[in-house]
Amino acid sequence: MVHTRLDGVLFSRMVHLGAKLLSRNAKVVDGLNVFPVPDGDTGTNMSLTLTSGVEELSRRQSPRIGEAAAALGHGLLLGARGNSGVILSQLFRGFSKAVNGKEEISAGQFAEALKAGVASAYQAVMRPVEGTILTVAREAAEMAVRASRSSDDLLLVMTMTYEKAQETLLRTPEMLPVLKEVGVVDSGGQGLLFIYEGFLRALQGEELEAEEQQAHKAASRVDLDELVEEQHNAQVHRKTEEIRFGYCTEFMIRLTGSTEPNKKPFSELLFRSHLDTMGDSLLVIADDDVVKVHIHAEHPGSVLQYAQQFGSLHRIKIENMREQHADILKAAEERKASAEAEPRTDVASLPYGLIAVASGEGMAEIFRSMGVHAVVEGGQTMNPSTEDFLKAIAGLKAEHVIILPNNGNIVMAAKQAAELSEVPATVIASKSIPQGMAALVAFRADAGPKENEAAMTRAIAHVKTGMVTSAVRDTRMGDVEIREGDYIGIAEKEIVTAGSDLLQTAKELLLEMVDEETEIVTIFRGQEATQEQAEALEAALAAACPDVEAEIQYGGQPLYPFIFSVE
Amino acid sequence: MAIVILTDSAADLKASVREELGIVSVPLKVMFGEETYLDGVTIDSPLFFEKLQQFDALPTTSQPSPLDFVEAYKGIVEKYGKDVQIIAIVLSAALSGTYQSAVIAKTMMEDQVDITVIDSRKASFVTGLICVEAAKAAREGKSKLQILDMIDRYLDEVQVYFIVDTLEYLQKGGRIGRAAAVLGSLLNIKPILTLDPAGYVTAFDKVRGTKKAINRVLEALHEYAQDEPVVVAVLHSRIPEEAANFLERLKQEFSIKQSVLQEIGPVIGTHTGPGLLGILMIKEKSLKT
Repeated sequence: MVHTRLDGVLFSRMVHLGAKLLSRNAKVVDGLNVFPVPDGDTGTNMSLTLTSGVEELSRRQSPRIGEAAAALGHGLLLGARGNSGVILSQLFRGFSKAVNGKEEISAGQFAEALKAGVASAYQAVMRPVEGTILTVAREAAEMAVRASRSSDDLLLVMTMTYEKAQETLLRTPEMLPVLKEVGVVDSGGQGLLFIYEGFLRALQGEELEAEEQQAHKAASRVDLDELVEEQHNAQVHRKTEEIRFGYCTEFMIRLTGSTEPNKKPFSELLFRSHLDTMGDSLLVIADDDVVKVHIHAEHPGSVLQYAQQFGSLHRIKIENMREQHADILKAAEERKASAEAEPRTDVASLPYGLIAVASGEGMAEIFRSMGVHAVVEGGQTMNPSTEDFLKAIAGLKAEHVIILPNNGNIVMAAKQAAELSEVPATVIASKSIPQGMAALVAFRADAGPKENEAAMTRAIAHVKTGMVTSAVRDTRMGDVEIREGDYIGIAEKEIVTAGSDLLQTAKELLLEMVDEETEIVTIFRGQEATQEQAEALEAALAAACPDVEAEIQYGGQPLYPFIFSVE
Repeated sequence: MAIVILTDSAADLKASVREELGIVSVPLKVMFGEETYLDGVTIDSPLFFEKLQQFDALPTTSQPSPLDFVEAYKGIVEKYGKDVQIIAIVLSAALSGTYQSAVIAKTMMEDQVDITVIDSRKASFVTGLICVEAAKAAREGKSKLQILDMIDRYLDEVQVYFIVDTLEYLQKGGRIGRAAAVLGSLLNIKPILTLDPAGYVTAFDKVRGTKKAINRVLEALHEYAQDEPVVVAVLHSRIPEEAANFLERLKQEFSIKQSVLQEIGPVIGTHTGPGLLGILMIKEKSLKT
């Protein structure tokens, strides 16, 4: 089957298949993370992000590409976690802007939309690094544009796009030395390739697998009622006389296929495209032998007549929406009146709202003691999404919000939330817990947001972060040979020591980080380290550098027995 | 025509210095429960900090009464005659009612004598140093106007920083002002305190640990001094060794023309507790009349 036009229905199928492939391979992508530290979560992050997009897409199904892409883009934006997730959301944000308002698009427009997505992603990343998902997306989009000049066949264009993405991915180790050293391709790029593979397979005509369909349909079936509800809400913004398709029509077809002489074989795609000419708000959910249909149509009789060709009709429900709409408007007006009668209680009460990301009850406690109003649970293993931040911001009722992401992979999601937030928000790009704490020490409630941003950002530069964790796989970093399960000591981003003994490794790391300039060291003890071990470290430090002040704090963080703050 | 400098005991001037320069001091009071002591008269720093350790509750302080000042003014008039000019430089009005007592006492004197009462907006030896300089200038025969001009310049310009072991004393004594914002963190956060232009205690900055705090203070002082010759005083409560080390470091880093190492007295100690390390710095040229 040759596709020359891409509409919302086909686009939705492509995205679903892409999401399915990515989710099934999330662990593969996780495994490509360069560091052997347990933050290999690129695949998980991308998959969770895409799932959020797909959920929104399912909620706001539309045969129009513009609307479908907008739904996807919105869902991705809210669900974005991790840097790769944020980049993914930007790729589709740019895409959806490019197809905004369109019913369907040509292969050429599809290619241009991919390119617009790339531009949006490059813009979102402050210092784009080549050899990552960005490069893969860019070169693939450029190929898409070239291919679409000589063919209007979507499948062909997507094939070329996919193959180019694959080729670029294989070249990423040449572009980024750290990938070559470890011997892997870029994880984000690999994630994108899985999505493109899903796109390609959908264009080749592959459907979601049976069990996936069941699950998908089960979810959608529940959603059907919700969808009707939502459409009612959307209708509040319209006038009764504007309703073009007056009857909300729902029914089920029990397919008999060609086994009966006067019945036709059922094709979901043909069925859908035919019904699409008869109304809007179309939903078609096909099972092996049952099809559930929801449509707003002006002539429900014709719809039923058409559907009857494929089998017997069940649970038919037809409602006059013009009549309903008048009721909805009346109810909405009543609701509005009562809402206005109630005084607003959500007036901003805090001049500043401080949000920090941390995991471990001790860490959360320390942040709160330093004046943080909301601690968002998260860190290396679980990156909070843009929406998590938006919820935290909304919960504070502050005039200005300052966010401390405390992890390099969370900075972008936080920045995206700051952009989307109605409350003005500043993100201090803290990439570790010690950086976040140093920034907080510099915070002053009596200073303006700009002044605080400058002072807090400056404070970050004066703290060094050390972390001890265990390797999740064998590898080699520079001169350091690492076996799976070994403890590794990381100073800033570099692995400086490794060994099988926790205390020994921690000691080596700490002494490596301390120099003549060092004024104070804070040892944050994680779940897996004992107070005795922390005290032994403190004693070793005192013996080596008697002038340095030291402090032990219980952080309770998982996976990292020790985190050091060296100032 | 004599000019006499009068101050209060919270200026932490040693008796020997006062006697040498003819500076008159009115004592504040320190109360341990029922027991009342006259600051610098019936109690000195060693005794005060010894009692502070033994006593469960915190001591309190009280300003001199207007009558205490009237007596002091009268004593000066008796000694120097009715033509004497009195310059009273007293503890920050933002921290104590001492200034108010001195002003009320002045009106009670009903123009019998020329009295100028100045709110130093400072405390401890930061007030003390300008009393010393003013007394020296008076002895050199400078006019009242010249001396007042120098005092104004000093009070506007002098740099003051101090670090306390704990904010508890400032808080309980109600003198914490805008430094309150830095209270109560689980981490060892050292507020670097100063006095704002109105004489209130305020946080200049806050950092992790004493070493950092000292470095931050030195940084601020370098910004002020710009390699010019300076006069400094290092103040402390119960940490003479740290204070001496700090002064040594200052001597290495600055061009110091005059330096004083001074333990703070009972009244100020009541509100800062032991473990205070403070510094004042002023350019030498700013002390010239």
